[in-house]
Amino acid sequence: MTTLVKTNRLKPQGSRFNPLSWLVIALFLLIMVFPFLWILITSFKPGSEIYGRDTAFRILAINPTLSNYETVLQKGILSSVKNSMIVSSITTAYVVLVASMSAYILARFTFKGKRLLMGLILGISMFPQMIIVGPVFNLYYNLKALNSYWVTLAYSTITLPSAVWIMVAHFKRIPLSIEEAARIDGCNLWQMLWKVIFPIAAPGVFTTAIMTFIAAWNEYLLTLTLNSDKAYHTVPVAINALRTQFTILWGEITAATVIVIIPTLIIVLLFQKQIVSGITSGAVKE
Amino acid sequence: MPKRITWRQFLFVLPLLLLVSVFSLYPIFTSGVYSFFDYQTNDQTRNALYTEGHLNAPLFHEDGTYLNFYLKKDLSLVDETGQQTIAALQQDILEAISPYAEAKQPLALSGEGAKQVTAFVANIRQRVKDLENAYPDVELNISKSADSLLDEMDSTVVGSNFIGLEGYKRLGQDGRFFSALRNTLVFTIISVFFELLIGMGLALVMNRAVRGIGLVRTVSLIPWAIPTAVSALIWTYLYDGTSGIVARLFTQLGLIASPELLLTSASGTMAAAIIADVWKTTPYMALLLLAGLQVIDHGLYESASVDGAGPVRTFIRITLPLLKPSLLVALLFRTLDAFRVYDLIAVLTKGTPETLSIYAYKVMVGQGNYGYGAVIVLAMFVCVGLIALLYVKVLGAELINE
Repeated sequence: MTTLVKTNRLKPQGSRFNPLSWLVIALFLLIMVFPFLWILITSFKPGSEIYGRDTAFRILAINPTLSNYETVLQKGILSSVKNSMIVSSITTAYVVLVASMSAYILARFTFKGKRLLMGLILGISMFPQMIIVGPVFNLYYNLKALNSYWVTLAYSTITLPSAVWIMVAHFKRIPLSIEEAARIDGCNLWQMLWKVIFPIAAPGVFTTAIMTFIAAWNEYLLTLTLNSDKAYHTVPVAINALRTQFTILWGEITAATVIVIIPTLIIVLLFQKQIVSGITSGAVKE
Repeated sequence: MPKRITWRQFLFVLPLLLLVSVFSLYPIFTSGVYSFFDYQTNDQTRNALYTEGHLNAPLFHEDGTYLNFYLKKDLSLVDETGQQTIAALQQDILEAISPYAEAKQPLALSGEGAKQVTAFVANIRQRVKDLENAYPDVELNISKSADSLLDEMDSTVVGSNFIGLEGYKRLGQDGRFFSALRNTLVFTIISVFFELLIGMGLALVMNRAVRGIGLVRTVSLIPWAIPTAVSALIWTYLYDGTSGIVARLFTQLGLIASPELLLTSASGTMAAAIIADVWKTTPYMALLLLAGLQVIDHGLYESASVDGAGPVRTFIRITLPLLKPSLLVALLFRTLDAFRVYDLIAVLTKGTPETLSIYAYKVMVGQGNYGYGAVIVLAMFVCVGLIALLYVKVLGAELINE
């Protein structure tokens, strides 16, 4: 049976420990954090210092400024954050609903074509997303759905397979006896899912929601192709639109990067246990 | 457990089936269909899938009407013989175009019909030329516009753009495709190799760490969680030829001759993309492997240590075999992810090194060539299938287990 690694398992196993390990970890942390730190530092530098031969690599700005932040806020970077919020929330809501309904059936019942369906879902999580760009663009063009939040439905290709996968793994851990008791009490399928399974599987449902939200938040290709209108740009697309053809204004880009990373940072800090469980779910067997 | 699901249970799976059908199965099938056509959205004669020839009837009718309009003006400029020639011309044109007077959209046309239209246009062209030659001194109205109108009438005949397997033949001779494939493979193999190596090292260290593991985990998750397009942009800055600190560091260490090479030279962009990818995904690999390490029974290590096995031997004999299932799954997913890399390279260097996804996107969206673009993505699809097969059949990764 496929199960999750509980996060409380992430505890040390050996007692032997040497300074070399500490050094490795310290180096690792430095490499991971450095790009973010450098972005933060640059975002407070005025343009003259960013491009200046002697000042470009100074750790602290000589004349720190907030003007980069003011400029990108005026350029409407927050509207892309709003768009990302809308798009990711819609995607999370319907993907969690659809995934939990089907995962319940997949986890609880045996039927013809089940293996095929599971294989199909797995296959979709592997295929190159590029394959859907042309046909889906034409579909949206014909339905006049380009430049709208309908892009969220296309996000199902990248979010739904892993959502179903994580949910199935979680539902399978719930003992059958609970449902049998509920069935005797006269619960129908819908009540069974919502009133019995869902509350017990809440951690799994929550993990799925977080993973779906992050995947939707990070999506680039579909929004780039289907929503060329700036009014519908999400964070990844909008921040790249700050690059102009000839010059790259690093001050503005770093400031915008700092702003758009904040939501992700909050999510990681608040929900890291769910994220680790989501990443490792299905990959580890007991 | 029941062996069959009721319609009520089927309703629970239905939304999933619908979404999968519309946004995954339908696009794959449609791409297959596109690949048999010379389908180019920015070329009027092939911006749809035509299995048979078409006549742009409204345009054909309009052009003919204009021809007759100019001919009518010329009636008063020529003598009686000329007037008879013009009248005959007008009559023929009218006969040819009148069936399409009510046409609102292109009509299907057989191969024979297409030949007739072409012959008709050639005939009219010749007769207009004869008319001009007969009256060299008269400035005829028809002379000014006949050529462009007749050219346009010629273009109203649109042949079928069904090309069968031609697109696939073209792929076999497409040097750019093979160079993109090579770039993709180089990128995939090197990045996944380093991710595995460093990820494994980190996982082993984290598995033994006493304190600080929470911090390491939190920090690991940040690069993984931020959008690839954003992290690629951060690296573009770090690699920048004048202001990039990493480019400067690499130059000072003697890794590159001059800082701008990282984002301009072929090997520079490849290295730049690989480093950025390894930075972003190694923590993910480490977390997956760590989870795998932590389900290994602790007692096994103790017995090994009692038997006097050293750390290397313990790793090869105990850790590796027991880690194999999670290792293979992690490797499979990382390999496929790296193989379809798009966001990272599209943002980092705006498309170099040109990988398969980048090439496909340029052909499809950049050039509007959906037909050949579909051939490229289907070739990618086949590669992905082969990679998955390699892992599942040859290396024995288990993906679906009941």
